[in-house]
Amino acid sequence: MLSSTVLSDGIIHVSDKCKACDHCTSICPTHAIQGRLGEKHHIDIKKCINCGQCLINCPFGAIDDISMVDERIIKALNDPGKFVVVQEAPAVRVALGEEFGQAPGTNVKHKMYAALRKLGFDKVYDTEFTADLTITEEGTELIHRVFNALGVPGFEHAGPLPQFTSCCPAWVKYAEDKYPHVLPHISTAKSPQQMFGAVSKTYLAEKLGIDPASIYSVSVMPCTAKKYECDRPEFMASGFRDVDAVMTTRELAQMIQAAGIDFMSLEDEQADRFIGASTGAATIFGVTGGVMEAALRTAYEVLSGETLGKLDFNEAVRGLKPVREATVEIPVKALGGKVLPVSVCIVTGTKYVDDVIEDVLAGRSKYHFIEVMNCPGGCINGGGQPIRRDTY
Amino acid sequence: MSIFTEKVGMTRRQFLKGSGMLAVAVIVSGVFAKIGFDAFAASDEYIAQRAAGLYTLDEKMALRKSHENPEIIQIYQEFLSPGEQKYLSEKAHHLLHTKYGKDIPSFIEELKGHSGEAA
Repeated sequence: MLSSTVLSDGIIHVSDKCKACDHCTSICPTHAIQGRLGEKHHIDIKKCINCGQCLINCPFGAIDDISMVDERIIKALNDPGKFVVVQEAPAVRVALGEEFGQAPGTNVKHKMYAALRKLGFDKVYDTEFTADLTITEEGTELIHRVFNALGVPGFEHAGPLPQFTSCCPAWVKYAEDKYPHVLPHISTAKSPQQMFGAVSKTYLAEKLGIDPASIYSVSVMPCTAKKYECDRPEFMASGFRDVDAVMTTRELAQMIQAAGIDFMSLEDEQADRFIGASTGAATIFGVTGGVMEAALRTAYEVLSGETLGKLDFNEAVRGLKPVREATVEIPVKALGGKVLPVSVCIVTGTKYVDDVIEDVLAGRSKYHFIEVMNCPGGCINGGGQPIRRDTY
Repeated sequence: MSIFTEKVGMTRRQFLKGSGMLAVAVIVSGVFAKIGFDAFAASDEYIAQRAAGLYTLDEKMALRKSHENPEIIQIYQEFLSPGEQKYLSEKAHHLLHTKYGKDIPSFIEELKGHSGEAA
């Protein structure tokens, strides 16, 4: 297996710079960090969900994540036998600029595409393409579960309601570790990162006429848990690893700096064709509530057969409150126009998810669809994002 | 009688040492808690700015619904469900879906069997 060390030794480690201040232990959603006040801390990798919230919040910069840059990514880029393709998550484009003096939220996606080409990637695509693919798959799965619950014939094999989102690998590991009974409720759709890997080694290989064995699939993520996800052994349905290596937003900035690229003066470029186009629905995947909003835009139109006029479900779905809920009334064409009140819930911050899960397991949950993102605010505040030293 | 004299407890020196250590611990943890608190209080602002960045980008996009992405339409028409627009097609299910927890070992065996057939 590819570098089993990532899975067996964990992603996040406490270095000797630890001053044992205990700040991280208050942030960790799974109480995985051990060590008393005044005693160098260490991480219990059985409990750690690899989210990296401790890392970005450590006042001493004493927590690190393992890197795949030298051992995997640079090696592949230097290997003439490898066709190296890259994807970047939505949250990366509004934070990468911070490493080059821009304000948080500045969109640098076109310069990011240009920088990746300069770094030697053969093709530059976008995770947003597979975020859209996640919506068509996961949204359809939700519709099937709803039809099954309503007793519509032909949907008996659909899973139970409510359906949870599956994009966040920290949340998935948390559920696997702590709530195995809730797993049938999690969407079977792979995350956009893994979907991208799978289509890069099948559909893309066909389209470009390239041997899939020579394709090396890299991703740039705002997330440390994505490193864990990419090495999970089951992600090889195409006969090849879906994703071969992951770097964080921070690591991409370091690569750009090490290569001497003047990032802010790069000319704008576009993503490559076939698996590089995206929509606004995919862009908002990077923020809490965004996956829900994207799913609602598609589910509404597919179920009703009508065009959705107002696109934002502003009041209830957006925002930074840890737990939010909303009900969207959708006229269902297949049920003769009957209006179905679809009840949704959004959780950001794993420490807030337990009550929601307990309700589901007890059969008390009123929701149809629940989005969970481990990091407060969503992927934009992921463990792989630029560290805001100015906040200390 | 020695029992009582031993029970008298700490000497003046021991008391000063103990209380001094306690004071230092309280001050140190207080300072760190303050650092942590400040970091947390300030963190919401950059999170909100990054969120606003994504919402602004969404508004600027020509297409804002996943099922309207022309390359999504193309991948179903040409690859996932040839000739039609069928979400959750057999091929989509095989490549784009997964299993969790205790189902993983048998799922891996199933996938290995499938790739064996393909080869």
